[in-house]
Amino acid sequence: MTEDFRARARAWLEANAPRRAAGDDDGESGAATTLAEQKAFQAKLYDAGFAGITWPTEYGGQGLTNAEQIDWSREARDYDLPNGAFFIGLSMPGNTILEVGSEAQKKRYLPAMLRGEEIWCQLFSEPGAGSDVASLQTSAVRDGDGWVLNGQKVWTSGAQYSDFGAVLARTDPAKPKHEGISMFIVDMHAPGVTVRPLKVATGHSPFNEVFFDNVRIPADGLIGEENKGWAAAVVMLRHERIAIGTMSAPRTSPLGYESLRSLAAGLGRTDDQAVRRRLAELYARSRGVQLFGLLLREEAMAGRLPGARGSVAKLAGSDLGRFAANVALDVLGDQLAGSDAEELQTVATLIVAAPGSAIAGGTSEIQRNIIGERVLGLAKDPGVDRSTPFNQLRVGTQRSDVPASSGEPR
Amino acid sequence: MTLILTDEEQALADSVRRFVAERSPLTSLRQLISSGEPFDAGVWKQMTAQLGLAGLAIPEEYGGAGAGLSALSVALVELGAGLVASPLLGSAVLAAGTLLRLDDEDAKRELLPGIAAGELMATLALAGGRSKAVLVGDGSEPALSGTVSPVLNGTEADVLLVPADSGSGTVLYLVRAEAPGLTRTRLAAADHSRSLARIRLNATPARALAGDAAAALSAAADLANLALASESAGAMRACLDMTSGYAKIRVAFGQPIGAFQAVKHRLADMQKNWELGYAAVRDAARAGDEEPGRFSVAASVARVLLAEAYFDAVVDTVQLHGGIGFTWEHDAHLYYKNGLSNKVLFGTPGEQLDRLADSLGI
Ligand SMILES: Cc1cc2nc3c(=O)[nH]c(=O)nc-3n(C[C@H](O)[C@H](O)[C@H](O)COP(=O)(O)OP(=O)(O)OC[C@H]3O[C@@H](n4cnc5c(N)ncnc54)[C@H](O)[C@@H]3O)c2cc1C
Repeated sequence: MTEDFRARARAWLEANAPRRAAGDDDGESGAATTLAEQKAFQAKLYDAGFAGITWPTEYGGQGLTNAEQIDWSREARDYDLPNGAFFIGLSMPGNTILEVGSEAQKKRYLPAMLRGEEIWCQLFSEPGAGSDVASLQTSAVRDGDGWVLNGQKVWTSGAQYSDFGAVLARTDPAKPKHEGISMFIVDMHAPGVTVRPLKVATGHSPFNEVFFDNVRIPADGLIGEENKGWAAAVVMLRHERIAIGTMSAPRTSPLGYESLRSLAAGLGRTDDQAVRRRLAELYARSRGVQLFGLLLREEAMAGRLPGARGSVAKLAGSDLGRFAANVALDVLGDQLAGSDAEELQTVATLIVAAPGSAIAGGTSEIQRNIIGERVLGLAKDPGVDRSTPFNQLRVGTQRSDVPASSGEPR
Repeated sequence: MTLILTDEEQALADSVRRFVAERSPLTSLRQLISSGEPFDAGVWKQMTAQLGLAGLAIPEEYGGAGAGLSALSVALVELGAGLVASPLLGSAVLAAGTLLRLDDEDAKRELLPGIAAGELMATLALAGGRSKAVLVGDGSEPALSGTVSPVLNGTEADVLLVPADSGSGTVLYLVRAEAPGLTRTRLAAADHSRSLARIRLNATPARALAGDAAAALSAAADLANLALASESAGAMRACLDMTSGYAKIRVAFGQPIGAFQAVKHRLADMQKNWELGYAAVRDAARAGDEEPGRFSVAASVARVLLAEAYFDAVVDTVQLHGGIGFTWEHDAHLYYKNGLSNKVLFGTPGEQLDRLADSLGI
């Protein structure tokens, strides 16, 4: 039966998916057309029965198992699917709503994501709260049966084209920091929402800062329970790590083994034993990461959920990126310092982008903490405060000689 | 093809693990160190007669169980975790695996059933070193001369498969332990769980084995990669358990040392490296049974990943135990020595990478 599915997937991809992405999703290079193309592609994917493979049919999914999901990932690896704008929505807010959202939220939002109609972003990080996201200061104050949102988020990927966001806000600053947070759905087109692009090291603008100025959140915008937002955040972060960690880089990735090998051959470098060894090691390490992702999926299929081992996948993926960057430098040499060949420029850009994956979605240090504490059961980091009321704590880059956070936005 | 264990494989893993805990704990390796025995004959007998481990990857027609390489790998993971000293790798994996890929039906019928039962001990005199055997006798009465070292279980083996330069390429020869002109010297092995020897041949009578020796030796190298990677995965897991266990109970500065990130993060990296290596071992084991065309590359990948990862892990195991980890009484050094030996036997990491690069066509 899954053989059938796999054959169908292969045929569909061959007929409909480009081997390489037509454009990037950085929101700069012709974002409008790129975005329209992405939406159209996601809609086509949905119509063909390949969107939300494991999601229940009542929410627009295919109601299939992890086996089909694995088959799909295997087949899709040869393509760069032009639907990256939906990655965050589907894997993070989408899976979180599926797990802890209300029935009405599941019906309203999940099918629209799958059909490519609505794009989502994740509004967690703030200037004063990244790794320690529970120190966030954005506030949501009760107002009638809804809330009023004020504050600032930062590094929000895709906010520039998102329709909705899953936002974490403080609903009770007098409680210890993990206990006074709630998660909401915010309409990114609502009055009072301002999105400003931020440029990353490569010069692109994949992420933004987002300001909330008295933004109204209706009663049905709460995901999970009030002041239980941390639990929902933990669910989303878990999905995030697993999604990022098991997201196998397409075979065609310019910083991947195959591309570097053919570039090295083109430069006549593959006769050099040191170069051959570096490339072979890159192949081995890439396979290790890929196979571990596969193993996690198989275990999930057999009823053993990855849990905190998603952090292993995330860490392994960013370590691989770092290793690949080093191999590229060794193998392609000074051509990476300056070249007019487009492929080499792309590789250089990806090397500049590589550190981002060790920061986004929780830094590698945070992943190592999680692995140490929740996979290996080691003692928690000393000094992680779980009892002091939030409004008596110092967060982010606040100086110690100014009064502690009031819980109000800056 | 799936990477996770089947129910039968899980049952095999459980029974081998129980066996290791009961019959071959690390204290018995220490007994071998003081007695000088290469392995515990009683343990070997039970491993073979009772658990049937030597016959796992030998087809039923030659007296084995025909369970395949995945089952063998599962057993090796558990044996590796316990640093069980035995001739399994040399005899049942490498010698049997080499024979199986030759076309010498007589030799297979004569030797494989004994190997599978654990009653006959064979080895493959394959070493990465410079010294090699050469054919000195004529075609009708072949004889070999030369030195091969280090050879796994070279002193204990009843028969040796010796690759030698026949003048027109490499041929595999069968040499019997009692053959004249054969000198076997036990070496000081870095790893107490391996018995290694220098084999000297001086016009030693040998029988040429029919078949493609180069292909059989290449298959043996793949099997060595799978086997060493499997054992290393088990041993690395043991290091990880031992060290994270210690990090939970050893207190310094008022904290269990595992609370310190310098300790925690090394263990997290060890866990990550283990996960990748183990997944690669599963892939290689399955490929060996189900996708033979992929086996060589898959086994290289597993070996490359684990040779590095396991050695890093043993270094960290010693380090994170502090002074106690550097004592003779502590088990850390047993793994440390196994890690260094596993890193270089049948190909250093550099040689492994060269081989992988060749297979990938780089
Ligand atoms: C490309 C990209 C996309 C992103 N997209 C989004 C998004 O869509 N939505 C969103 O909400 N956020 C997003 N982020 C933000 C990201 O989640 C944070 O940047 C990240 O969690 C780190 O937080 P920070 O930047 O505040 O760094 P900090 O937390 O200030 O960390 C600074 C350094 O201190 C280290 N550190 C901090 N705490 C510890 C600790 N306990 N132990 C050891 N070391 C520690 C960190 O590892 C890091 O090296 C994105 C980031 C990037 C780079």
